[in-house]
Amino acid sequence: MTAQTLLFELLIPVAKIIAVILYPMIMVIVMIWLERRVVAWIQGRVGPNRVGFQGILQPTADALKLFFKEDIIQREADAFLFNISPHLVMFSSLLAFCFVPLGESFRIGGYTLNLWVASSPVGLLLVLGLSAVGVFGIIFGGWASNSKYPLMGALRSVVQVLSYEIPIGLTVLTVVFFSRSIDLVEIVNHQQHGKIWFGFMLPVSFIVFWISGIAETNRAPFDLPEAESELVAGYHTEYSGMKFAYFYIAEYTHMVLVSSLVVILFFGGWLPPFPNARFFSFLHWIPGFVWYLIKIMFFLYVYVWIRATLPRYRFDALIKLAWKWFVPLSMANFFVVVALKYLL
Amino acid sequence: MSKTRSFLRKFLLIDIFQGLLITLKYYFSSKVTIQYPEEVQPPPERFKGLLRLYRDEAGEPLCIACKACQRICPTDCFDIEGERREGARRMWPTRFNWKLDRCTSCGLCVEVCPTDAIRHSDAFRMTSLSRGPLLFHHPEMYLTGEELQKYFCGGCLR
Repeated sequence: MTAQTLLFELLIPVAKIIAVILYPMIMVIVMIWLERRVVAWIQGRVGPNRVGFQGILQPTADALKLFFKEDIIQREADAFLFNISPHLVMFSSLLAFCFVPLGESFRIGGYTLNLWVASSPVGLLLVLGLSAVGVFGIIFGGWASNSKYPLMGALRSVVQVLSYEIPIGLTVLTVVFFSRSIDLVEIVNHQQHGKIWFGFMLPVSFIVFWISGIAETNRAPFDLPEAESELVAGYHTEYSGMKFAYFYIAEYTHMVLVSSLVVILFFGGWLPPFPNARFFSFLHWIPGFVWYLIKIMFFLYVYVWIRATLPRYRFDALIKLAWKWFVPLSMANFFVVVALKYLL
Repeated sequence: MSKTRSFLRKFLLIDIFQGLLITLKYYFSSKVTIQYPEEVQPPPERFKGLLRLYRDEAGEPLCIACKACQRICPTDCFDIEGERREGARRMWPTRFNWKLDRCTSCGLCVEVCPTDAIRHSDAFRMTSLSRGPLLFHHPEMYLTGEELQKYFCGGCLR
């Protein structure tokens, strides 16, 4: 085996796999810190600013504390499901990142470096499916705890997943209809060739997808499964130590994933603003993944901003919102978009 | 009319955007947190902090060792002895032990003191590394500010 094949066949894929695990983890650390600081600022407080520079090491310190905590399993709990569900949540949201492109391909000499681990012609379906698998972890964990608050959280999670998955599917359909592909890379490339990003072309799709995405990640105002003022901590009430940390990290990883999906589907992924305009061609000098990170950080910020603003939805209000508004709206949106596409 | 308007406000997410603008405004508001060990909020005027003894203008102790505080103290914090010097019309305290760990800051000693010698100070930081400094002897009853903090925990000021 020559050095070149060793590099291309082994070292680069391994580096990519490490990167695809490290990237969400770093984003999670940044995100936990950002959320605590931003929410604190909005509430007139300062937030964690002691550990490390401006408190940036606070999530690491918390994780270290959780790492050394006792791992408690209830006597009455279903041990197998109880143990497997945090890993299921974590695994599914991390695995989905394999299919999320992090930037455009680089050409280094004769080698094309793709900034994604696995390119799949059905990438969008895989990502959506894997992020739905994570909900099973929540449901299993809530049920296996054999305790009432986690069970209530799990039940709410079931209803929530039935509510938001359909609007998500229907809005993604409009994007797929225009890009004629469910390959995430192809969708971004289509937005480069097309004149306008899908988010501005299909604003209804974007807003319905974004709101459903907030519901999918169990974030405020749709954090019903872990409503701490009603259900103690919801589905992870009985978890402690590293298993709790897994749920916690997976939630933030999921947020990063949904933000990445929004950016890829509706805001041109790694493309700079105005990718075709000659006047703005200098924006291409900034590498694609920097643009991509900027966009993702914006949407993550909006996540936190919404959490600090809106109170939690009531259980029936969420179902009503999803079934009486989002499903008909996204369906009508799809038909109007199709009709306009063929008429114009 | 109002029904259509309220429908449109909901449908176009105007209410939600208004809420987001309000929180954005508060994002840039001044923060109320006081970063405690570095900056200390001054206690209010009538704050009942640690007890301390005072001296008069000539530097003589105001305390005349009458033991009124010792008698009235509900938790028995004081242990006072006094002596009368040659030809003097008053007494001086020779021993004035005050046990901070027993004190409930009820303030009865302050009320009962005939010479206003014992009063509440505004000191409230009483962290110490051992129980030793919690027993105040006569000279330590006059300590204030930095010196008091040094007496408590060796001057790290935390």
